This record gives sequence, structure tokens and C-alpha cells, in this order.
Amino acid sequence: MKTVHPLPDAASVVPVRQPLISVDKLTVDMPLGRSGSSVRIVDGVDFTIGVGERVALVGESGSGKSLTARALMRLDRLAKLSGRVDFDGTDLLKLSDRDMGKLRGSSIAMVFQDPMSFLDPLMTIGDQVAETLRIRGIGKAEARKRALAVLDELGVDRAAERLDAYPHEFSGGMRQRVVLAMALVGEPRLLIADEPTTALDVRVQDQVLDLLDDVSTRRGLAVLFITHDLGVVAGFAERVMVMYSGRIVEDGEVASVFAKPSHPYTQGLIKAVPRIDQDLNTLYAIPGAPPPPLARPSGCPFHPRCDQRFDRCGVDLPALQPVGMSRVACHLLDGKGA
Amino acid sequence: MLAFRAYSWFLSRRLGLALLTLWGLASLVFLMIKLMPGDEAQMAAGADASAAQIEAVRERLGLDAPVIMQYFSFLGRLLRGDLGTSIVTLQPVLADLEKVLPSTLELVFIAMLLNLAVAIPAGIVAAYRQGGVFDATSRITAVMLGGMPAFWLALVLQYVLGSVWRVVPISGQQSYGMASPIVTGAPTLDALMALNFGAFFDALHHIILPAAVLAALFATQIFRTLRASLLGVLRSDFIMAVRAKGATARHMLVRHALPNSLNPVLTLSGTQAGAMIGSAVLVETVFARQGIGAYMFNAVAQKDAFAVLGSVMFIGTVVCLVNLVVDILQLLVDPRIRAAQLGSQGQ
Ligand SMILES: Nc1ncnc2c1ncn2[C@@H]1O[C@H](COP(=O)(O)OP(=O)(O)OP(=O)(O)O)[C@@H](O)[C@H]1O
Ligand code: SF4
Ligand SMILES: [Mg+2]
Repeated sequence: MKTVHPLPDAASVVPVRQPLISVDKLTVDMPLGRSGSSVRIVDGVDFTIGVGERVALVGESGSGKSLTARALMRLDRLAKLSGRVDFDGTDLLKLSDRDMGKLRGSSIAMVFQDPMSFLDPLMTIGDQVAETLRIRGIGKAEARKRALAVLDELGVDRAAERLDAYPHEFSGGMRQRVVLAMALVGEPRLLIADEPTTALDVRVQDQVLDLLDDVSTRRGLAVLFITHDLGVVAGFAERVMVMYSGRIVEDGEVASVFAKPSHPYTQGLIKAVPRIDQDLNTLYAIPGAPPPPLARPSGCPFHPRCDQRFDRCGVDLPALQPVGMSRVACHLLDGKGA
Repeated sequence: MLAFRAYSWFLSRRLGLALLTLWGLASLVFLMIKLMPGDEAQMAAGADASAAQIEAVRERLGLDAPVIMQYFSFLGRLLRGDLGTSIVTLQPVLADLEKVLPSTLELVFIAMLLNLAVAIPAGIVAAYRQGGVFDATSRITAVMLGGMPAFWLALVLQYVLGSVWRVVPISGQQSYGMASPIVTGAPTLDALMALNFGAFFDALHHIILPAAVLAALFATQIFRTLRASLLGVLRSDFIMAVRAKGATARHMLVRHALPNSLNPVLTLSGTQAGAMIGSAVLVETVFARQGIGAYMFNAVAQKDAFAVLGSVMFIGTVVCLVNLVVDILQLLVDPRIRAAQLGSQGQ
């Protein structure tokens, strides 16, 4: 089972931050086989992450979280992207491949779900961590020294002796630390973590989360954290964005969203979190399943599963609009519902 | 020291395996000799041997003894390097092979280099730009080359490049009067050792077309295998992680994707080395080169049984050695194979 963290109280005050990355009308189209046609997976996403801010991105499987995250670094070679991704004032979608490459690893870095499959089985740990620096022309000895320092910082025991070991000689938790070291060694300002703890067992999950918490505080590192686990969101993030069928449907401070979710989908997700004192028979699940990107319903894509839908919902697509400190995409908030 | 012991233990296991394979091959060869129609003594002595000569050979080879004894003395002769006597050259088969083999090995070696030098970069580009123009044209080329009869390719190239355009000689291994003192028996190598660069380039000029034909026959397989293997690797997660570090496409391909796709290519090139020596029969014949191919071709044509079987034995040995080298290369590339084969000391 997943760890259940207590949900925090509402009403913590929001500090205003300098924006680090601003995403505007981002779309991601993936090709359909060899046919030449494509399918829109991410359908116009806007958000901003401030310097040093920790933002969680949640949503059911297939909602487009990973593709959104990878689009920020232009990692999918097959994806067609449109919109803007402004990082430090430059639109990343307009950069040449070469310039984008320079930013990867040094300005924006990423850690992934399964630490084993994200390590090259044929290269030593030391070389893989140092590689981020070596690519940038830093000398072998210096790169190795800095790799060792990061591995030490992340609590890889006997790091000095194990620089020349291979991934298969490490345990799952240690591998995730190595992957994290690979991401941090280039001293990025934004770390994208795509379900970095899902493949780990509970005890190790908590260790890695603490580590991430620590490092991001110490380095003033902004983190975009993708997860299914709302408990983790509560414990780690300041802000949460909820994604459904390729769009953001709610975005707000963790405390206020959890205390008073505005979007029926967010309400359903929170209701579906099991509580320690809960009778197993009363476990809630949102009825139905998310639509495949090729068969997205008209109007509000959530309407076939929504228990509060009304006539407009099947026709008009609700826009993401400010509601208090949050943003919500639901017709109910136009006050024309019920 | 521990690593050294782990490696020598691995090597001795592999050598043992190679010897077992050769023993199997020798037994097969023995069986083939026994199953050949006609009188074995007559065969060994040659078609126009006198009755007395035939009896002398029968005696020398112990052909009156029980089959099992013959088998053991056959193995014994093999161990002493006695592969029988050619009825055509009247020389021991081993002595004949020593004369022709270096030239073949040189041809096969250069063909293998050409093969890999063309197929590997082509496979990398085709896989990286899957569905692109280069991918499409190289795949069509591979299908056409793969479906082309080898002798036809050899003859066409010989005609076009050798007779019409005259950019390369059509046959032989060196120009008249260009021969260097024979040290190894391989013309380019001998020229190089004599520091005779004119002769070296002359020999190279002669070998390039036959080697290219031989390479073309095999490069299509390497290309297809590498392309398929790379396509799989390029889809794997760690490639995305490497890109996320800011690696250039070139760095990603050369340092990560290629090493991880190499295993099936290594295995295949090991098999190919043996098959190439087989195909040398054809190429050497078409291009009038000396070598084990031409030797075997003549041996078959003249029903020179011991020359054929001796050659088979020799090729088998070369194949076993090449596979040993492939095993070692795979060990060097992949730490997981190292761990499995050598135990933890090997690391
Ligand atoms: N390479 C691809 N080509 C085509 N479609 C893809 C590709 N990768 C993902 N998709 C589709 O895009 C949609 C969103 O995928 P994505 O991986 O972003 O979801 P996710 O929200 O990260 O889900 P999960 O929680 O399971 O990781 C899915 O429907 C998936 O089938
Ligand atoms: S817009 Fe309508 S269907 Fe969509 S979430 Fe709001 S109420 Fe439900
Ligand atoms: Mg995902």
C-alpha cells in the first residue's frame, strides 16, 4: 500500500516568486504509427513554475503528464510541439537542437521512474554521473571529483569505492540516488521528477523523498514532481496541478486545493485517497476510465464521468480561469450551473 | 590477480569447448571419408596409381584394421598435423594449405573490415533516422544486394570496374614482377614487410575488388542486424536519460546506443568469418586469386578427397578461433556477461 500522509490545513500564505519557466498553450502531438497522421496528447497547457518552487503534477494514467514534462526538455524525438516554453526569457521551442542540448542537464534536468532502465548497463556509475559534466568539456579528474561529491551528498555509501561499479551491482534505492546524482551534478535550476519513487518500496520511497526535499531546499532548486500519490503531493509540494486528458483542470496551492477542491475531477481524486481509519467497503473510485486521446469527448472531456455535469458540459470546452488563488477549468465556476 | 585467474579459467573453459567442437568436426570428416563411395586406398593414391602403389597406401593408412582403430589412428594423425596427401599436388595437404591460406585470410580480413566499415555506420544512420531517405535507400540496397547471386555480382563488377572503366585489375593478386620475398604468403603483408610500398599498393589494388564483392555479400546482414538491434536500444529508457544530460546525438549513438546494440552484431560477424572463408571459394575462382577457395575448388573438381577434407578441418579451426575472439569481445563489452562468466572476481 501507499503511505498516507496527513493532508495539510488550508490557508498558508503564498509568497510571490520570480518565474523560472512559463509554459504557454503547449501542445504535444504524437505520430500514429507510420501513417503520417498524429494525435494530440497534450492539448494546450499553461503554467508557470517559480524559482525554487515545488510543483506537483497529478492525474490518472495516460493523462499526458510525462509527455508534458518531456516536452519542456524536448526529449521525445517524435513529438511535434507547439506553443511557448519560456525559460529564463528564452523560448525553448525555438532553440536549435544544439542550444537545447546545452540547456539539458545544466539548466533543466530530469529523473525518471525506473532507475534501472534509465541507467546504461554497460557504463560505470562514476562515468555516468560524470558524463553530464564531461559532455560540457570538463576534465576527467574534475568531473569525477564532482560526481563523487554529489554521490556523497546523496548518501550513496562507500561512493568512492563504487564509482567503478556497474548499475546491476546496486540496489533499487541506491540506483535512484545515482540517477538523482546524474541529474544534480550539472547544477540545474529546474528538476523534473517523473514518478521517481513509484518503482521503489515504501521505506526507500520515503528516503528518496526526504533526500529530494533536502536537496531542493539546500540548492533552491525548483521541482516539477509527477506522481499518482496525493499523500506525496501533500508532503512535498507547494502547488499542485491536476491534469485530465491532456489539459490542466485545476492549479492551486496544495493546502487550499486539498482543503477545498473546486474541480469535480480533483474532488474525485481526493475522495479516492484511502484513509487509515476508513472501512475498506467504502473505498471510493471515480466511475469510468479516462478517455483515450483519439476519442476525447466533446465539451468538457471529463463530462461522461462527472456527477455534477449539466447541459453545457457536453458542448463547450471550459477554459482554465482564475478562481481566488487557484485556476480551475469547469463551467460550474461560471455560476451558471445547477 | 583474482581477475587474472577468473579470466584464465574462462579461457580454458572456452578452449576446451573449441577442442570438443573440433573433435566433433574431425569425427564428421572421418565419417564422410568412410561413407564416400569407392575404394579409400584408391582415392588416397590417386586415379592412375598402380595396384602396388594402392596396396602400399592401404598398408600405410592401416585400412585393413577395424574401423574403430582406423578412427583412432586418424585422430592421431590429425593431432600430428597430418591431413593426408593431395593426389594432385602430391604434397601433404597441410603444406599446401600453409601456402594458400595466408592469401585467403588476407582477403577475408580486408573484406571483414570493409563489411563492418560500411555496414556499421550505415546501420547507425538508418536506425537513427528511421523512415528517412537514407533508411529507405539503404534498406532497398540491402535487399537487392542480399538477393543477388554472388557470382553475378562478382562478374558484373569485374566487367564494369575492371574491363570497361579499368579502375582496378580484373584478376590476380599482384602485377607481374611485383612479388616480394614470401614471408607470410599474404601479398600485401609481405610487401609491407619488405618496405616495398609500390608492391604494397599494387597488391592492395588487386585485392580491393574481390574483397568488396565478398564484403557486399555479408554487409547486408550486418546492416540489418545492427539496424534492428539499434532501433530497440534507441527506444529504451536510458537513451532518453542520456539525452536529458545534454548529450549530442553523436555522443549518444557512439557511447551508449552502439555498445548496447553490438552483441548480436558480434555474434553474427563471428559466424560470418567462417562463411566468408567458404565464399572465398567463389571469389577467388572468379578473380583468379590463390587461396584456400581456389585450392578447394580444384580439389573438388579433381576428386582430391583429402585436400577437401583437410581444408574443411582447417576452416573449422579458424571458425572456432574466431568464435573464441567473439566470446572475449562480448565479455569486454558487457559487465553483466563478465559477472555471469567470470564470477564477482572478474569485475
Ligand atoms: N511515443 C508515443 N507515441 C504515441 N502515443 C504516446 C506515446 N507516448 C505516450 N503516448 C500516449 O500519450 C498519452 C499520455 O501519455 P503519458 O505517458 O504522458 O501519460 P502519463 O500521464 O504520464 O501516464 P502515467 O501516469 O501512466 O505515466 C497516453 O495515452 C499514451 O498512450
Ligand atoms: S465542466 Fe461540467 S462536466 Fe466538466 S467538470 Fe465541470 S461540471 Fe463536470
Ligand atoms: Mg508517465
